[in-house]
Amino acid sequence: MSNEKINNCVILTNLYYSVQDNTWVRVNDDGTVTIGMTDVAQSLAGPILHARPKKAGVSREKGKPIATVESGKWVGPVKSPMTGEIVEVNENLEKDAQLVNKSPYQNGWILKMKPENLEADLKDLLTGDAAVEAYRAKIDQDGVTCTHIEGTDEY
Amino acid sequence: MEDKEGKKILVIQTHGVDTPTRTYSPIYYAVAAAAMEMDVMIWFTMNGTNQLRKGAAEEVCLVPGSGVTLRTMLDMAIDNEVKLRVCQQSLTLWDMTPDDLIDDVEILGATSIIDLALDYDHVMYF
Repeated sequence: MSNEKINNCVILTNLYYSVQDNTWVRVNDDGTVTIGMTDVAQSLAGPILHARPKKAGVSREKGKPIATVESGKWVGPVKSPMTGEIVEVNENLEKDAQLVNKSPYQNGWILKMKPENLEADLKDLLTGDAAVEAYRAKIDQDGVTCTHIEGTDEY
Repeated sequence: MEDKEGKKILVIQTHGVDTPTRTYSPIYYAVAAAAMEMDVMIWFTMNGTNQLRKGAAEEVCLVPGSGVTLRTMLDMAIDNEVKLRVCQQSLTLWDMTPDDLIDDVEILGATSIIDLALDYDHVMYF
């Protein structure tokens, strides 16, 4: 796994990103995708108090909320980067929502989805160098510097 | 807990820039409801109206140094498609005209709010 750091924000180049909505997608071997919030997203939100994914079995269109996340200073939806059916949610977030802060790309995943049209939806996302460059521009433009709470994964 | 998507929530905000500690939470609740895919409106009346004057909300910051002003909260509501409405009669109370209002706020009269209150699934009053 390779990664880039921009203003202390970690970008994993093997993931697909919706830069606008600050979500990532990992394509799994079984045809499902794992979706989560980016390091930029967790930094902007601050320490997460509650993360509440939609339930397994729910179908979502791209751009619609798949979870609500709240911190002390921010509340909002996590917008789906794919169209499909939610097949699994990260139950550990109920006990420790700050997994999203500490491990945004691993243990803090939000949910898994069975996409309706994987290839088409992936074309609308960015990966590799293109994702890094897009994030570099966004981070510069918005003046973001990522912050990490104690216990955050090392990259 | 069942999803409440599509429910309609009306938040009535009567507190303004003179009482900062009573301004953030109603907006926070409204945005949370919008994030849960509810249809949400905040109705500003009485003192609540004065936070909608251009430049006023930027001056209110509950936690100094946080960078999160009342304007940040209002923008968060707008970004999440929370409808912002203000009581027409209360503008007079604060010597305000429609031109004094920030963008994305619509003006409604008293009969409209009564209609809305009956139409919404739940009203939260602050």
